[in-house]
Amino acid sequence: MSTAARFDEIVHAPNRLQVCAILSAVDSADFATMREALRVADSVLSKHIRVLHEAGYVDLHKATWAGRVRTSVSLTPAGRTAYAGHVAALQAIVSNEGLQPGAGLQAGQP
Amino acid sequence: MESHSGPGIGATGMETGEAATALAAIDASRSWLADRAIAPCWYHPAFGLFAGAVIAEAETRSVMLSAWSVAVYTIACGGLMWWNQQRVGVAVQYFDRRTRAVYAAHVLALTGLIAAACWLGLGREVPGAFLAAGILAVPLTVAFGRWTDRLLRVRLRAG
Repeated sequence: MSTAARFDEIVHAPNRLQVCAILSAVDSADFATMREALRVADSVLSKHIRVLHEAGYVDLHKATWAGRVRTSVSLTPAGRTAYAGHVAALQAIVSNEGLQPGAGLQAGQP
Repeated sequence: MESHSGPGIGATGMETGEAATALAAIDASRSWLADRAIAPCWYHPAFGLFAGAVIAEAETRSVMLSAWSVAVYTIACGGLMWWNQQRVGVAVQYFDRRTRAVYAAHVLALTGLIAAACWLGLGREVPGAFLAAGILAVPLTVAFGRWTDRLLRVRLRAG
């Protein structure tokens, strides 16, 4: 089943798009791994994760092991749908197909 | 936001080039992830040595020693997999249809090797049968392990 193309401005920000791209391929990823992937500071990544979390696109999990708190992030079903729709929208733009009627920019830009 | 239309501009007002750049960034992230998932060169040989040692150890014909070596093998394999997951920093569904098939083939191959060793070593009293099977298990495990890894990397890259 193909995903309906839907441009999502929350997902579209470059760092958040990278976060979603990585999370969509895995069950969850450590915060440290995400920071390494994006090559950004903790605060920058935290900000983007918070935006995705507030949109209901990611879940945060904290686990303590050997006295250290380890934070991992995973995409929610809503996040997977939004990401898949956004990728489909990008592909539609690239292939000059355009978007489905009514599938314009999603409101809720933080 | 205002929408535009025209050559190279989608319904969202985004230029084709910008969309292509975003798609390229997605590909780059996926490639980064797939590269990160590559296990160190010694990883699969370590599994091979564990498996080989357990099989070769049966040459001693000691049930107690065999039971201990299976327990140590299980803990060592579990520890190595846990360590690798910590290193990569992601939790991923390791098995899909293809990797499950490769894993099943690996288990079948090792089972066949052990069965042959049992037939030769226990049934026909051929000396060194388990030792030979243990030695053969090493490259077998390395080959199947790297095959599974390759499939996983392709899956991660494809998304």
